[in-house]
Amino acid sequence: MICPRCDSEKVNLLTKSPVGGAWEVYICETCCFSWRSTEDDDIKDPNKYDKRFKIDKDKISELDQIPPIPALLEEKN
Amino acid sequence: MAYKDLREFLALLEKENQLVRIKEEVMPEPDLSAIGKSAPSIESAPAVFVEKIKGYKNSVALNVHGSWQNHALMLGLPKNTSIKEQFFALDEKWSKYPIKPVWVNKEQAPVKEVKITTDINLFDVLPLFRVNKYDGGFYISKALIVSKDPDDPDNLDKQNAGTYRIQVKGKDLVGIQPLPFHDIAIHLKKAEEKNQPLPIAICIGNDPVLNFMSSTPVEYAQSEYDFAGALKGEPIELTKSEQGNLDVPARSEIILEGYIIPRERKIEGPFGEFPGSYSGARLQPEVRIHTITHRTNPIFENLYLGMPWTEIDYLLALNTSLPLYRQLKRDFPEVVAVNAMYTHGMGVIVSTKSRFGGYGKAVAMRLLSTPHGMPYSKIVIIVDEFVDPFNLEQVMWALTTRVRVDKDVVTIPFAPGMPLDPSSEPAGMHTKLIIDATTPVAPDKARDTELLDVPKKTEFWLNYLKNIARSEVN
Repeated sequence: MICPRCDSEKVNLLTKSPVGGAWEVYICETCCFSWRSTEDDDIKDPNKYDKRFKIDKDKISELDQIPPIPALLEEKN
Repeated sequence: MAYKDLREFLALLEKENQLVRIKEEVMPEPDLSAIGKSAPSIESAPAVFVEKIKGYKNSVALNVHGSWQNHALMLGLPKNTSIKEQFFALDEKWSKYPIKPVWVNKEQAPVKEVKITTDINLFDVLPLFRVNKYDGGFYISKALIVSKDPDDPDNLDKQNAGTYRIQVKGKDLVGIQPLPFHDIAIHLKKAEEKNQPLPIAICIGNDPVLNFMSSTPVEYAQSEYDFAGALKGEPIELTKSEQGNLDVPARSEIILEGYIIPRERKIEGPFGEFPGSYSGARLQPEVRIHTITHRTNPIFENLYLGMPWTEIDYLLALNTSLPLYRQLKRDFPEVVAVNAMYTHGMGVIVSTKSRFGGYGKAVAMRLLSTPHGMPYSKIVIIVDEFVDPFNLEQVMWALTTRVRVDKDVVTIPFAPGMPLDPSSEPAGMHTKLIIDATTPVAPDKARDTELLDVPKKTEFWLNYLKNIARSEVN
């Protein structure tokens, strides 16, 4: 399975429905996107996922950090 | 107060015809967000209790705060109370701060009825669903999150109960968004400087006053619990968390206990946010959940937020207005009322009497230096004391007839801004706009004009007509 948002191949089964085998939820290890098997194809299918919301997996580390990680106290002195 | 927790409030809403039940089974997507979008659009804007969701065990409550009727009932007022009357009733209740909470033993706390510490799977307890289509995952959008100041853990005033968005990222892992100006970010910074995990409790399905206060910008060393007690006129019941020595609501439906993993950031978002647009994906902290406690048959109360107005706008309305009103009133007693209901106070209207020329601008500048107004407020309109800031027709009258654009409109470029505001560029900076729509007083001057009078006996006829209209309805 391929992540519909970042096209990573590192996709895991997050959970099955607690009741009655109704659906599964998958999660991408790379971009943390999660989706349910019963959602529409434009959420589940990498080719149909809206390009405006696609994520370039190589640029994830460049995203802004919120909040910034502070310096360790001992490093300050 | 007529209710003690979410369950009792839902029963009150049902009695007042402000709650509808959906008994047929619905799909998590797209039904739950479509219900959340629809509820505030109908006239009574009721809360919705969805009994069965495909594949899940538990029920969902939506739009609990999403109408002025529900808002009034939360404050213990008749459901038809006007917004301005609710504002002043809230102000009166606010004066009772602080009413300190009481603590109950874990055995007496309903939220401890069930305790899970092994094989945690959030989906077993929470009927999670996608709130907006391009959200990065399933969100807990209406939780009250408790944390303590790591340098002062016994200080209950510095303990924080705030609402921050939570993205589910694993069976026992969630992402959290502490923006730098939020109180929890102060706690996190202190913990991360020492490379320590920060214990937190994510409390879901609370007394509606608690969610109201956890969305309210009170001062750092003011307790949301003490304010919630003041609004109710009686103490909130708290109990101790299983770990981390946190004080948590005893009557919540579900509490997820965990800790923020120090000095790590992982991708979170996007998430459809209160300005009516998506906020982008960013690197944010994650929380490992180690314990869940919940009531028997817990109710998952969550929030749909869409293009304003939806439920969230009621949770960012009078509770944004009142602290700003109080902060202004302290130094500028002429201030009559503050309407900061627009996009969490990004737009604010203040009515004030002017003590001397330029007073309106001075009031606006003070607003822009309050802790909330500094980053959030972008467009500030000041109107005369006789203009009702909650009546936009009156405000437009003031703008069209009082403002001399050449001297009454001021911009302040590159001031602190709210990053979720899509016009904030770079995110976190924006230009402020002040419009002084007050009538000039000396030494400022304007052309002589006299306002029209209200005809004698207007009050008599107003009541007369109201009574006729009311008897025709009945």
